[in-house]
Amino acid sequence: MLKIRGLKKTYAGHIQALKNVSLEVPSGMFGLLGPNGAGKTTLMKILATLLDPDAGEVEMNGVDLIAHQGRARRMLGYLPQEFGLYPTLTAEQTLDYFARLKGVARAPERRALIDALLERVNLSSARRQRVGGFSGGMRQRLGIAQAIIGQPELLIVDEPTAGLDPEERVRFHNLLSETAGENTVVILSTHIVSDVSHLCSGMAIIREGEILAQGTPQGAIDELAGCVWEATVPHQKATALKSRFKTISTQVFDGQARLRIISKGLRPGEEFISLAPTLEDYYLNLVSQPAESESR
Amino acid sequence: MRNPARTSLGVIFQNEVLLNSKRIAPYAMAILFGANALLWWGWGPATGRGWATNSEYFIVSVFPVFSFMTLPLFTAIIMGDPVIRDFRTGVVPLIFSKPVTRAAYLLGKFFGNFFVLISCQAAFALTLCVLQAFRKSGMVVQPFRVWPYFKHFFVFVVVTHLVLATFYFTVGTLTRNAKIVYALGVSFYPLYAAYQVLLLKSLPSRWRIALDPLLMNWMDPAIRGRNAEWINGLVINYDSDMIANRALMILIAALCLTILYLRFAIAERTKNGAGQSHTQLLNLSTSNEKVYVKDDDLRQARDERDATVIAQDKIAIPEVHRTIGGFGANLKQLIAATGVEFRLLRTERSLILIIPLVLLLSTFELAFWEVAPGVSYSAAYAGRTAGALLLFLLGMSVFYTGEAMHRDRELRIEPVLWSVPAPNHVLLLSKFLSTLTLTLSLIMLVALTTIALQIYKGNGPVEISVYLNAYGIILMPSVAFMICIALALNVLLRDKYLAYAASIASGGGLFYLYLQGYNHWLYNPVLYGLWTNADLTGAGSNHARILVHRIYCLAIATLCLSFAHLYFQRKSAKSFLVQGRLSSAGWSVLIAVFAVAVIIITGSVLLAAH
Repeated sequence: MLKIRGLKKTYAGHIQALKNVSLEVPSGMFGLLGPNGAGKTTLMKILATLLDPDAGEVEMNGVDLIAHQGRARRMLGYLPQEFGLYPTLTAEQTLDYFARLKGVARAPERRALIDALLERVNLSSARRQRVGGFSGGMRQRLGIAQAIIGQPELLIVDEPTAGLDPEERVRFHNLLSETAGENTVVILSTHIVSDVSHLCSGMAIIREGEILAQGTPQGAIDELAGCVWEATVPHQKATALKSRFKTISTQVFDGQARLRIISKGLRPGEEFISLAPTLEDYYLNLVSQPAESESR
Repeated sequence: MRNPARTSLGVIFQNEVLLNSKRIAPYAMAILFGANALLWWGWGPATGRGWATNSEYFIVSVFPVFSFMTLPLFTAIIMGDPVIRDFRTGVVPLIFSKPVTRAAYLLGKFFGNFFVLISCQAAFALTLCVLQAFRKSGMVVQPFRVWPYFKHFFVFVVVTHLVLATFYFTVGTLTRNAKIVYALGVSFYPLYAAYQVLLLKSLPSRWRIALDPLLMNWMDPAIRGRNAEWINGLVINYDSDMIANRALMILIAALCLTILYLRFAIAERTKNGAGQSHTQLLNLSTSNEKVYVKDDDLRQARDERDATVIAQDKIAIPEVHRTIGGFGANLKQLIAATGVEFRLLRTERSLILIIPLVLLLSTFELAFWEVAPGVSYSAAYAGRTAGALLLFLLGMSVFYTGEAMHRDRELRIEPVLWSVPAPNHVLLLSKFLSTLTLTLSLIMLVALTTIALQIYKGNGPVEISVYLNAYGIILMPSVAFMICIALALNVLLRDKYLAYAASIASGGGLFYLYLQGYNHWLYNPVLYGLWTNADLTGAGSNHARILVHRIYCLAIATLCLSFAHLYFQRKSAKSFLVQGRLSSAGWSVLIAVFAVAVIIITGSVLLAAH
């Protein structure tokens, strides 16, 4: 169990990245959703011991991660949003290096681990290629492989599927699901809602450094049952509807506007049909609301 | 008429100049060339022979030699990889999706880099020109002039380098392999020497001039024997052989560029073309796109794909035993990290220049030197190379430590590396040890070359202990000291260039003091000018004092390492005690206290002996 209490971080120039963030993250996969600039990466960096918070506590299985960074790093696997690798090392050498730094000292064990990791991230054929010649997707896959070396208790992956093709994404999801065991917390920070709905048993939505909601994806979807409506209407009517109802998406389709609206209890018009809500509806509904500071 | 600066060629030219302005190499070259000019001016052949330092004869004598000394490696470095860089960074598709012709691209690239190369070399001519305003005692200087410098620089340096530049540029661009260009650069000297000896030497004088790209045979050697007054009044005019030579060189350059234009292809190269499919997959779709197909079809396709992937994912990740913490585990981490850091240092491109340059200089230093054995031949050889190498090794230590310290941030691997359970001292010591190993390797190469030369010149016997004293006691602790200082400066200042500037400024200031006679053992950690060849054999009076000084110097180095560890940017435990045991910060303080004690004791001994 990962416990985050009252976490605050302000950067130079009075930019408040985190405003009193508190979360309880159980074992398993946990999705952290939020738009760009919401504070996800700051939170991830604090959890990965790369950044000190101004205030607050982080505890993982009874270990204070902020006070005991050395112990924290023993239980950590981290894949940052933006990262590089040594271009002159091969894929195999890179994983060998990280395995040795993570304390996998026995050479036969290390070799077997690297073989399996390369196979799982589909880089076996490129094992002796220099990383400098890798494509973005290959680099990302190698990054994922290094993060899961040594069965980390806390695996932090920040926007991990960016740059992966659909097949690799599925492969990565499988890998993450396997890693998330009984005693492992996997935090998946992303703005791709479908990744969270497919994978995570728990989730939180963050915006402007504040947690807006926390729960399970299914619970979030259930909250909107019977409230999501969709119709294709002329542009003039669409404008009128938008002013009356909360619109979560508008697309131009066949010269008309296709609207997706949230309306509790009231059907917006005869042409509207009720749809099963998705996590994306919930997310868009939540993040499009004005922030507390703005509404005040 | 269209402004040339706004044509695609002009824009590419300007961009190349801009890109080079952000590299260190051009500035380093310009400084080196300026310093070279200073040496020719103050300590060159003109001063001893009564030649005016701005006489045409002197200028024309100097430029071909300057060209010869700097031509192959520096030209290869600047001209070898401009197009390779574009392919490596992936900017080529962006450039060629604009209305840029191949000719404009290649010429813009070539002339942009050639302009930078020539600008760097111009530092040599410019320094010589400016130095006309100064004179040492006994130096002859004629009235101030500019035109001969410009004219002869163009003819002897620019045209000569044009040929080599086009050759390197063509080879680099067509092979897309910078290593081939550097190998050609390194092999220039033996090839040119062989060309001179095997071909040119047997030809008549006119052909020797016409076919020599460096014009080393143009000046009549008999002129050197004439009196200084005659030489100072000599006006240099180019004869027809010389003009034919320059025209030939320009033609060869044009031919190279034409071949390049005809052979250059924009397409990406594949390593194994035979086994590759001719079709490409465009991964344009993402998960949350809106594709208007039937949901059922899409779902079925997705399920099939997922099932395939899941079927492939049968390989389990094996569980492994991890050992973290404790001396043994940290040592294993240190060995791993040092190995990788050393491998990364070895791939530094500048080493391709530095290693041959050091070997070349140390060979030249000894090859034409009349050895006065003094205490022993080995001491004379080892002492001479140790003295010459010292400044070079110190500069190298500062530079490569800076590179090692900032590489992780520049490559953006720092967040990944800093989240692993390796303590700070492992990360810092690996950088220290790898730089030390690199300099040690260079010292060993020089030692082997020196020993080989000593044997070749018949100045035996070779005393290994003397070499060990010179390199192991004089050089190595000084290098270790400098690496530690550079490490601490990089940690404290957090900026590579600031650390370079601070190192150069403080080092330069200290050396100035030493040269002025303020040379004391306490503030001369590199022992500059404080030892003699006799000390290398044990016959000198300073042997014990040198050993104490080395301990003093290494204690300062240790203190610097402790500071670097304490102020390292990566987050770690702030308290000195963790659960009743010393934390890494606590160990740092303890070691710093111990180092200070050693500094005080050894410093007192040195002071007492002064």
